[in-house]
Amino acid sequence: MANVIVNRVAEFLRRFPPFSFLGKEELEEISSAVEIQFLEKGETLFKQGDAPQAHFFILKEGEIHLTESKASGEEVKEYLDEGDVFGVLALLGKRAYVLNARISQNSLIYAIPVQVFEEILATNNRVALYFAAGFASGQVVVRQDLSQGQKARGALKNESRENSLLIFSDQSEVKISDKVLTCDSSNTVQEAAQLMVDADVSSIVIVDDSFRPTGIITDKDLRSKILAKALPLSTTVSEVMTSPVITRKKDAGFSDLYLTMIKNRLHHLILTEDGSDQSNVCGIISDHDVLVSMGNSPAVLIHGLLNTQEVKEIRAIRERASKMLAYYLENEVAMDFVASIMTEINDVIIQQAIKISEKSLAGLYPEMQSVRYCFLTLGSEGREEQLLRTDQDNALIYENVAEGLRIKAAEYFLKLGTAVVEILIACGFAPCPGEIMASNPKWVQPVAQWEKYFASWILTPTPEALISASIFFDFRAISGSKSLSEELSLFIYDSLKKKPVFLNFLAQNTLATPPPLGFFRNFVVEKSGEHRDQFDIKARAIRPLVDLARLLTLSHAIIGINNTFKRFERLAELEPNYKELFSEAAKAFEILIRIRAIEGMKTGNDGRFIDPESLGKLQRQLLKNTFVPIDELQDIVKVRFQLDHFGQ
Amino acid sequence: MTWWPFSQSKRMLPDFAKEYLARNELHIPAIRALNQLDFVVLDTETTGLDTNNDSIVSFGAVKISNERILVRSAVEWYPESNQSLKQSPLIHGLVERKNQLPKSLFIKQVLEYISNAILVGHHLGFDLDMLLQSTKDYGLTQFKNPIIDTMNLAIRLDHGPQTNLSHIQVKNYSLDALCERFKIPLDDRHTAAGDAHLTALLFLKLVKIAEAKGIKTYAQLIR
Repeated sequence: MANVIVNRVAEFLRRFPPFSFLGKEELEEISSAVEIQFLEKGETLFKQGDAPQAHFFILKEGEIHLTESKASGEEVKEYLDEGDVFGVLALLGKRAYVLNARISQNSLIYAIPVQVFEEILATNNRVALYFAAGFASGQVVVRQDLSQGQKARGALKNESRENSLLIFSDQSEVKISDKVLTCDSSNTVQEAAQLMVDADVSSIVIVDDSFRPTGIITDKDLRSKILAKALPLSTTVSEVMTSPVITRKKDAGFSDLYLTMIKNRLHHLILTEDGSDQSNVCGIISDHDVLVSMGNSPAVLIHGLLNTQEVKEIRAIRERASKMLAYYLENEVAMDFVASIMTEINDVIIQQAIKISEKSLAGLYPEMQSVRYCFLTLGSEGREEQLLRTDQDNALIYENVAEGLRIKAAEYFLKLGTAVVEILIACGFAPCPGEIMASNPKWVQPVAQWEKYFASWILTPTPEALISASIFFDFRAISGSKSLSEELSLFIYDSLKKKPVFLNFLAQNTLATPPPLGFFRNFVVEKSGEHRDQFDIKARAIRPLVDLARLLTLSHAIIGINNTFKRFERLAELEPNYKELFSEAAKAFEILIRIRAIEGMKTGNDGRFIDPESLGKLQRQLLKNTFVPIDELQDIVKVRFQLDHFGQ
Repeated sequence: MTWWPFSQSKRMLPDFAKEYLARNELHIPAIRALNQLDFVVLDTETTGLDTNNDSIVSFGAVKISNERILVRSAVEWYPESNQSLKQSPLIHGLVERKNQLPKSLFIKQVLEYISNAILVGHHLGFDLDMLLQSTKDYGLTQFKNPIIDTMNLAIRLDHGPQTNLSHIQVKNYSLDALCERFKIPLDDRHTAAGDAHLTALLFLKLVKIAEAKGIKTYAQLIR
């Protein structure tokens, strides 16, 4: 018979994993088996080396520290907080306790007999997975298999969320262009084609004197009715246009418009004031517009991007890409896939921005059109790891030009870079606060100057140089002449060979921020015991991993692999004895950027600062597990680059 | 604390009462450590405060062993009563009496449950008086168990054993006031089992304070 006390206990347990995965009966069974104990500050629940008790524990209220006794004294390994499960080694391994449980504030604990839980462990997969993944506290001493953790997160995720609808955007978002390209019936097909090229559209509407539609010519018509039939370019449009045209009223419902197009196999539907062809043309809708509005599949989005040069539309498509991203993240789609899709989308946006900018400047700088240049993205976009629209980091490199052209080239490329950066800002990519952008004259330079930059960073690794290096070493060519960026890579490779000590400086830099110990209540707990109320996931976890991956690949003289996943992958091949650690690191990285993206999406910013309070228990534990490979890699770097003896 | 059965009741004493008495003939050694003691924390909800005319609506209890509340041991029982519901059930939010136990079965279960454990409660005397009303019919006029009233224990821990109770602000020692002071959330207040649970949590905390004050054994605790 369940009574109020059992219910009260159940109500508490239900809030925390793994109890949240229990069915009603299982939860009731566990809850009635609970024994409630009150412990005073200063007491010890169990000691390192003690034989396991018949119970494991959940902290109901209060504060307990799990500590490790070392020759040098006792070190706090973990701060336990409400809902933390601990003392589970007894449950799993039937081994002695590896840590001490010191009561640091008066605490109420729930003790659960091992044997009761073992039954549930045997029958409930999700609970078993939870423990196997090492989510419970005090398990940190054993290196966690993060893939188990990820698997668990997928399996433990709230099942009721229905995200699949996210990929279909609101039908009202269908874009109807009201700027319709028109000409009159006396124009030649060549003139019509030229107008279409200039406007970058795939159709032209032929109108009479009072702007009523009489016909339409599309890309397809040019191909099938003119070129294939070898008609002369002087043919008038009236000879080949499709006429009469099917029209609809502009404010007709989307489904009406869409059905009309499907039924009549129309690629373009002309919209008029009153819906008949006896009134003025006021808009046109293409199957491309429909396709784009239909959904957020990557192909559709990229197709949409490639077919527009309108900044507003680019921005709208990027917004939809964010929705798609949210869907992917929540559904645990593999991160390298998600990252490459988002990179592709971002790349296309940048390429479109470059096209728009080039076009706007072409008339002013005819002599510059033959000068080779390459637009580089840096930082996370350069590493193909940018998911959210975080800050822009980009630069421009152009070939060395003759003395006489220098000033003109500097002027042109700076204008080009600035135009691109402005378009990206308009598309929602925040400007880089450090001005590392192609709108900054410092970062729009010919090859010779870029080589000077890298040479000086490598030769005199000041703190500023190291920061620059960490951003600029991850450059990637987006558009233009890739041979220029390859040239630069080779130069860097040679410079590093000549000055290997640079890597020691870089190594020292990777140790600057050790990951925190974990989380306690609403705080981030530092190894020093200090608490902070926000977690900077970028500075404390993501950047160290990125830096470590870069450093270690550079130390193997590998240039050209920018992506952190790929770097760890390559490192695992190069150093088989650390294979496991590198793959853990790659997984940790994947988890981190996923959490950052999810948080960023939730809070509408770049997700860099995470309020521990906003994290679920499971996420906190997952996050904490990612600190382990960072720690271990930092230890390796410390030894490998002999940083203990390396002068500051 | 002696138990003095009336001769007539002794003859009528049912087996479960005899067993209860037999179990309580064993005395707990004075030097037994606190964490080795078995406690039953109990509370009753009644139709009113008159121990002669009111009756028990529900009985809630939970056991403490090794200084741990055993959730599985928690019970809430509803004895049959011929008395009509008065105003009190409204206060306590009891809408109807469910799963009622015949009085004899109720008493049998209570006696088996409390066995020879140390009884703990807030204003325990009142609850025991109410229970005795029912047990009297079975020839039991007093409980043999050692008893601890958490209100008295709290006062004693605050003011020492020699305190004159008339100098104490009793309202500071109500269950609500003490729960607030010891940060025990007042969940399920005014249900018998809920109050027993609160009292048990309070008792665990008081025991720690007692231990810190040098009260380490049964004799010291019970005085």
